[in-house]
Amino acid sequence: MMHGACTMIDICDLKTYYSAGFLHRTEVRAVDGVSFGIEKGETLGLVGESGCGKTTLGRSVIRLIEPTGGRVVFDGTDVTALSRKDLRRFRRRMQMIFQDAYTSLNPRMRVSESIAEPLRIHRIEDRAGIDRRVRDLIEAVGLNEEHLNRRPYELSGGQNQRVVLARVLALEPEFIVADEPTAGLDVSVQAQILTLFRDIWREYHTTCLYISHDLGVVRAMSDRVAVMLKGRIVEIGQVADVLDHPCHPYTRLLVAAPVDDKEFSCPVSAGAPAMVEVRPGHWVEATAR
Amino acid sequence: MPGRSVSFYISLGVVFVYCAVALFAPAIAPFDPFAISGSPLAPPDAAHILGTNDLAQDIFSRLVWGTRATLILGFLGAAISVALGTFGGIVSGYYGGRVDEAIMRFLDVMMTIPSFPLLLILTIFFRPGIYMTAVLMGFLGGLQGVRIIRSQVLSLAVADFVVGTKALGAGDGYIMARHILPNVLPLVGVKFIFSAQHFMVVGIGLGFLGMGDPAVVDWGQMIQRATQNGGIILGLWWWLIPPGLAVTFLSLALAWFGYAFEDRINPRLQVMRV
Repeated sequence: MMHGACTMIDICDLKTYYSAGFLHRTEVRAVDGVSFGIEKGETLGLVGESGCGKTTLGRSVIRLIEPTGGRVVFDGTDVTALSRKDLRRFRRRMQMIFQDAYTSLNPRMRVSESIAEPLRIHRIEDRAGIDRRVRDLIEAVGLNEEHLNRRPYELSGGQNQRVVLARVLALEPEFIVADEPTAGLDVSVQAQILTLFRDIWREYHTTCLYISHDLGVVRAMSDRVAVMLKGRIVEIGQVADVLDHPCHPYTRLLVAAPVDDKEFSCPVSAGAPAMVEVRPGHWVEATAR
Repeated sequence: MPGRSVSFYISLGVVFVYCAVALFAPAIAPFDPFAISGSPLAPPDAAHILGTNDLAQDIFSRLVWGTRATLILGFLGAAISVALGTFGGIVSGYYGGRVDEAIMRFLDVMMTIPSFPLLLILTIFFRPGIYMTAVLMGFLGGLQGVRIIRSQVLSLAVADFVVGTKALGAGDGYIMARHILPNVLPLVGVKFIFSAQHFMVVGIGLGFLGMGDPAVVDWGQMIQRATQNGGIILGLWWWLIPPGLAVTFLSLALAWFGYAFEDRINPRLQVMRV
């Protein structure tokens, strides 16, 4: 599916199952056979209701949760096949931003320590170099040096999210999974943070998987969008195609589109559900009827 | 809460006084605690502030030297128990899965064994000196501490900042040392104080039951000697009461300090004050 000339992330039939219940007999299929690709420098929005497996998918892609099956190929490297040691070294190329900035920072660490930590872990710079980088980073995210000595509870939600971004950017990752990074912020701050994210990702040419349930935010942030339902991707394509001309019934529900749009009706398949390309680059899971 | 703050400083002061007495015992005690220093069973007078016992040893000197033994038992025992409990709790809670399962089932078995009788049997068997006794108490007590630390670590291990640090490429050892440990330290501190209080009383209990180290003076052995050699029957209050009071004050001060400390160091309360 969608193998461009410079695919950054290629996800193939990714599955993450949880076992739960009595004697772990119940199986929860949080991510159930997901395949898609993300081009270099592209932002792919991932939408879906809470509990559909967005977060699990995001974490499985960078192996913060071990996937049950499938492959994730990152710029030619099969991430799912890396040994633990190699994976740790590889992690500087792919990062994650969480929903709650406050809990993403160790409450006992000062901002400067939090930002310097990734550099220290990977032994990237010497002491003076780290100091300089930390100062550059804090300014790049729109804070200043006086914030460096504070702790997370002395900063606002928006400021904390900026610190998290600085911490993540310290490694200059090629790929970032952003899991609803603005959901906990109020609207005005949200807009500032989104602008900052977009500017920085353009500047660093970062590939991004942007997870959100807010269609407005996804529209503003992403180049393409994928719609997730019960662990599966049901529709994927350019933002304008998917959100303005949704085909899958669930996507229509999400964007509150008229149900009887004849021109963009959902393809029907006789057998097992399969992805059908309704227009160039716009794929929809055919429903079995 | 000014009341809490006052009790914090008073109890801390009392504990400091005890520590100072233990530290400077040779300078404070007027007599060698084992030496015959006058007539036996003499009531308090100018030379012997608290009189003498049946062996004509100076009771005040013995009381001062006994502080040392009691504090060593309490603090060494607590240090070992807290170190063991913290290590076990962090490993168990952070790794989870089979490691956690193995440690928890082992603890379930150990918890069915009452620790004081076990300690008694071990001391009868090995006749350990004061330091070994403290180590033994520490090991048995540490087993209980694992659960408390683990419960806190369970929630920390899935906190965003821990998962995020893992995503940065940090190793497990680094995360446990730099992120988990600092966040359980307040709990560890509180546990240390209450463990110290507990082990001091246990140590005195051992002494009272005749399991003390005969080479050192401790309050438990003083009380034991007084009760067995006629201190109560003869009504010799200066022989029996002082070590009892010393234990009581120290134990109360530590408990107070523990409660006040718990309040003070709670990070959630700290955040709320900011």
